[in-house]
Amino acid sequence: MSDTKTPAITCRNVWQVFGPGAETALTDALARSGDDADVAAQELREQGLIPAVQDANFDVQEGELFVIMGLSGSGKSTLIRCISHLLHATGGEIRIDGENIVEASKARLIELRRKKLGMVFQHFGLFPHMTVLDNVAYPLRVQGTKKSDRHAKAREVIELVGLKGREHHYPRELSGGQRQRVGIARSLVADCSVWFLDEPFSALDPLIRRQLQDEFLQIQEKLKTTIVFITHDINEALKLADRIAIMRDGKIVQIGTPAEIVLHPVDDYVREFSKDVAKGQHAHVASVMNTGEAMVYGADDPGLRKDMTLDAALARCMDLYEPVPVHDDSGKVVGVVNPADLAAALQVETP
Amino acid sequence: MIPHLTKGAIAALITLAVGVICLVLQPAVPWIAKWPAAWVLPATDWVGAGLTWLLEGVKPVARAFSAMMYYPMLWANIALTSTPWPLVIGAVAALGWILGGLSMAALGFLGLSFVLASGYWVESMNTLALVAVSVPLALLLGGAIGVLANEHPRIKSGVQAVLDVMQTVPTFAYLTPLLLLFGFGPVVGLIASAIYAAPPMARNVLLGLERVEPEIKEAAVMSGGTRFQQLFQVEIPSASTQIMVGVNQCLMAALSMVIIAAVIGGFDDIGWEVLLTMRKAQFGQALLAGLVVVVFAVVIDRMSATLAQDRRVTYDRRVAWGVLAVGFLVSVLFWSSLPDPAGFETLQPLADGVDRGLTQFTTANGEWLASMKNGFLFYVLLPLRIGLAQAVLPFTWGFAWTGQMSLVLFSASAVLGVIVALRGNVTLGALLGIAAIVLVTGIANLPWLFVLVGTAALGWVSGGRRLAILSVVLLSTILLSGLWERALLSLYLSGAAVFACAVLGGTIGLLSAISPLVWRVVQPICDMLQTIPLFVFLIPVLMVFQIGEFSAFLAIIAYAIVPMIRYTRHGLTETPAEMLEAATASGATEWQILRDVRAPYAAPTILLGLNQTILYAFAMLVIAALIGTTGLGQSIYLALGQADVGLGISAGAAMAILALIADRMVQGFAEERRRALGL
Ligand SMILES: Nc1ncnc2c1ncn2[C@@H]1O[C@H](COP(=O)(O)OP(=O)(O)OP(=O)(O)O)[C@@H](O)[C@H]1O
Ligand SMILES: [Mg+2]
Repeated sequence: MSDTKTPAITCRNVWQVFGPGAETALTDALARSGDDADVAAQELREQGLIPAVQDANFDVQEGELFVIMGLSGSGKSTLIRCISHLLHATGGEIRIDGENIVEASKARLIELRRKKLGMVFQHFGLFPHMTVLDNVAYPLRVQGTKKSDRHAKAREVIELVGLKGREHHYPRELSGGQRQRVGIARSLVADCSVWFLDEPFSALDPLIRRQLQDEFLQIQEKLKTTIVFITHDINEALKLADRIAIMRDGKIVQIGTPAEIVLHPVDDYVREFSKDVAKGQHAHVASVMNTGEAMVYGADDPGLRKDMTLDAALARCMDLYEPVPVHDDSGKVVGVVNPADLAAALQVETP
Repeated sequence: MIPHLTKGAIAALITLAVGVICLVLQPAVPWIAKWPAAWVLPATDWVGAGLTWLLEGVKPVARAFSAMMYYPMLWANIALTSTPWPLVIGAVAALGWILGGLSMAALGFLGLSFVLASGYWVESMNTLALVAVSVPLALLLGGAIGVLANEHPRIKSGVQAVLDVMQTVPTFAYLTPLLLLFGFGPVVGLIASAIYAAPPMARNVLLGLERVEPEIKEAAVMSGGTRFQQLFQVEIPSASTQIMVGVNQCLMAALSMVIIAAVIGGFDDIGWEVLLTMRKAQFGQALLAGLVVVVFAVVIDRMSATLAQDRRVTYDRRVAWGVLAVGFLVSVLFWSSLPDPAGFETLQPLADGVDRGLTQFTTANGEWLASMKNGFLFYVLLPLRIGLAQAVLPFTWGFAWTGQMSLVLFSASAVLGVIVALRGNVTLGALLGIAAIVLVTGIANLPWLFVLVGTAALGWVSGGRRLAILSVVLLSTILLSGLWERALLSLYLSGAAVFACAVLGGTIGLLSAISPLVWRVVQPICDMLQTIPLFVFLIPVLMVFQIGEFSAFLAIIAYAIVPMIRYTRHGLTETPAEMLEAATASGATEWQILRDVRAPYAAPTILLGLNQTILYAFAMLVIAALIGTTGLGQSIYLALGQADVGLGISAGAAMAILALIADRMVQGFAEERRRALGL
């Protein structure tokens, strides 16, 4: 990526260590190990501390939908709480639009949360004593917005998430899916530009989950915010993500596009995740085609496009053996792919 | 065969050994049993001097505060006593309607009508005025402490420890220093009740705030709220149910303390009326006044408890306005002919009837009642207190206890103990020996060394070395301050009462757990007993058994048995369904399930009940001093009469120490059980 714009979020060597005296212990451990994260983490564990996030490094571009995935207890929530500064990172640097928030003052943090950040929680975190309308309007209320204005804005967002008519219900009177819609509406009401979602759909049953995912994509389409989304469901990750970061025991083990994760897992842990995934539906032709030097291809042109899924592409060249051209949206040939490679990419790897 | 010795066995054996040594050496070295008077430090005097000096310093501030509080009290008083009574009744009924609909409105109406009919209207309003001023103070104080402790995690454990201690300091002990600070008068009752009622509020506020779901707190943070906004707009409202539980407890504690504070007199309130009639042995009248107190307690408790309900129904306000308007209209229409509320004598015949009935009852049944009371005193309480060696007299038992008898008892227990020990249960064997020693010497005469070692051993078993050391250090302060004998007397009476509560309450709790029918009868009784202010328990026992230790014993049991019943039942019924199903599927009978599944699972809960029972017993012990007990309670009461701060505070502290040690030990056992169950 040759993007010169400042990334929306930058994480550099972010650590979160739980336990007494974590900060000094981390500094010491890093000094002793010569900045080797794995050695330092091991040493911290031996001291009885919990390195819940170890040396996280990544950028999230503006408008990107960045998914963090991992098993339960792998540190996903901890990481997202560091970025949203619900937890003060033990070490490292976190920049939002270039501003280091680890060092931000209290007042500045409140300012940021009012203007820039929004968050959705796994168990909704709704205020039990407020109606849907008041819940959603709350972020405006703390800013001192006039009641009529904030209610008008809240009604807009409530309509956006499809809860019109429920404004005066209390959270306890809603179903799980409806509650999470309230949570989403509340996080959107103040027009955030960075949106954190911590397993927003995990507590819901599969049908509702799929429905909310679709609506979520529509909202994202409309708002184009930068999103950090947490899930432990690979299908959800593949469906939503521009890029995925996979965490294990506090460490980010791989960052990549859905296709990269599915087609080129770095280790068995990642491979295990994508084992049962229908890869053909998630990887695109672009990820297996050859570009550059000699674009030699045969006479047949089944009309492959680079953003076609592998399944669709394979269906078109079932009985072809020679390399075929791949076109972009304008019809220009941008690469070549050998049908045999398409099939090979779909093979379940046996290590 | 030497069986492997458990911690408990070692502790019991050491205690037994020390006990035997004390008994054997006692004739030769008397100081091993009885702490010599020469070794006593004049600690009470020091405490007295120190505190007096301190209090003198604070006095100007206190007096200023007292002067300041004078006005709100006066206003509340005037407001309540000069408002025409139909309006007051209407207002309470209207409030009842808003809080809980028809049932609460009816409760308010009937309750206050009863108060009116009793002729104690003015005294009741005086009491209510005190409560009305002290409760807001207590709520503010408690709420502020709770919030501050929540905001500053560093002071949290400290605050909690102080609240724990405050819970164990007996009510009367608060009064003496306050008396010195504020002088005689109702303001002492006011301050005492505010101080006494603040801790439950603080506890519940803290608990409620801690229990707010983390995600709710985080949502408030991410919404961009300042800390102030987070706290007051999100966290406190989310914790409202728990906080309302605190308000309810705070109200009850304040009422209870206002009634108790009547012992210092100077204020024409209902507690004073109870005390006065009780002293004059006008029991019918005392019962009537006591019932007024109970009615107040029930009305306040039930109405405020609706605030803590999870899902509150809203009732049509217009009805409340209507009720209020009726009260107003009645007041206005009959303004000149409104009867004087103090002049009502509707219930007077009842009081007289009770008196007459009581006289009849005692003349008819006096004999067997007295023989029952004396029998219990001579054959149970007295031997426990001064031991068989002194309690067995020709006059009561028909023969005198001799040294040989002690020897026989000791050898019998030794033989039995050894047999039991050889069969594998060393702890029980040693305990048999210890029991024989206690039985012969009596709790009040136990050698101090034996008590110290025994306490240390118990502390070690229940809570490890730290608790053992803490207990010994604390007990030593009592020993050094010269309050030892009184402490042992308190220990004996409360110990006997707690034991009776454990057996009786445990049985009732068990029955309630087995049969829902029994629980349906027992539950309202428990609810009632828990609502009645301490003071009122004295009236019925006094009516039947007159002044004395036996009456005190009964009053303590009546008050302290409730937690034992509740927790036992709760523990036995809360066993997880899968465990019961697993047991049933294994083919266990009902009885086997109870013994093998329910009881072990309930053990920690039952121990907590026992813990509560102990604390309740200590609280009542002090109040029972009014009807004649010896020991620390009596000292505290006497100190109050003589405004002797040193004695009052020292005796109060000694009482708190005993309660604290008992509390920690039982908690330790409960914790150990819980860990054993993996909870
Ligand atoms: N406040 C804390 N104190 C100590 N340890 C913590 C704390 N919060 C989290 N941890 C530990 O950090 C690790 C990561 O926890 P985290 O909640 O981030 O996992 P997660 O990936 O979000 O899991 P899940 O999918 O279950 O939500 C866990 O081992 C957890 O026990
Ligand atoms: Mg999580």
